[in-house]
Amino acid sequence: MRKVKWTFWTLVILIVGLFLNYNLPQHDVVRITDTYNRQTPLGTINSYFYASQDAGTAPSSIRDVRFIDAVFPSGKVIVYRNEDTGFWPPYLKFDSSNLQAQANNVKSTTGDPQWVMVTHYGWRITIESIYPNAVKITPVAGPDVTIIPWVNIIILVLMAVGLFMLRRMWLQFWERMVDPAVASAEEAGDRARGFFGRLFGRKG
Amino acid sequence: MIVMLELLVVGFVVLTVIYLLVAVYSRSVRREKLEKEFDADVPLGGGPGSRDAYVEQGMEAYEHGLRRKLLVLVYILPAIALAVIVYFVNFH
Repeated sequence: MRKVKWTFWTLVILIVGLFLNYNLPQHDVVRITDTYNRQTPLGTINSYFYASQDAGTAPSSIRDVRFIDAVFPSGKVIVYRNEDTGFWPPYLKFDSSNLQAQANNVKSTTGDPQWVMVTHYGWRITIESIYPNAVKITPVAGPDVTIIPWVNIIILVLMAVGLFMLRRMWLQFWERMVDPAVASAEEAGDRARGFFGRLFGRKG
Repeated sequence: MIVMLELLVVGFVVLTVIYLLVAVYSRSVRREKLEKEFDADVPLGGGPGSRDAYVEQGMEAYEHGLRRKLLVLVYILPAIALAVIVYFVNFH
């Protein structure tokens, strides 16, 4: 039983952790090298990792997806997709065309690098052609800027407060509703035992 | 537009569940506080039924008070948060 409980909580923490890791915004300082769109028929697995088509366009199984190529200061490359999110994950991003134009504007070369911070969520999984979704591009001074993830801090604090309140509510419900009900049931049980005890001549 | 409509409906349902939970919790906490207040002030329990009367009076005051009305923030704060997110993601 202990093992079951342990496994259960490990799984819960793992799933919640992965969920947050996928959905919370992350910040990369990169240099954008190319932007393009590519017709992308989505497979069964990776379709879960693509957002919706642009808000305002009709649904279709094949569509052009905008991509942004970028390079980290270390020389490692990353490819972002650039799609509207709609309301899940709740970035409410409707401006992927504008973002693409902005990305175009800050394209730069190795010789004359222009560093930008790309705010994105999601994972890059090459084997399933899954890309993180870029949400925002902000020019930064250089590759060594310090980024404080305020949004993540706020969201995690709010979640902790919410969890704490949920626990408080649960305990309050237990204390005020369940415990008195159990107590009165036990009382009734005692009385009943007394009655049957008398009836059958046993000492309860 | 359909997306927005979905968001409105789902959001409203979720927020209503949260509102009800918070409302029940808040009422329960208030009732407990009133009971404890009475027990502390009137150690001998007062006359018969006076504890119930005290609590009911307190609850009546709560029902018309500011704190209960503030529960509406459960709907308002997420709406403001959404507006802020839309602004910062798309227009900032």
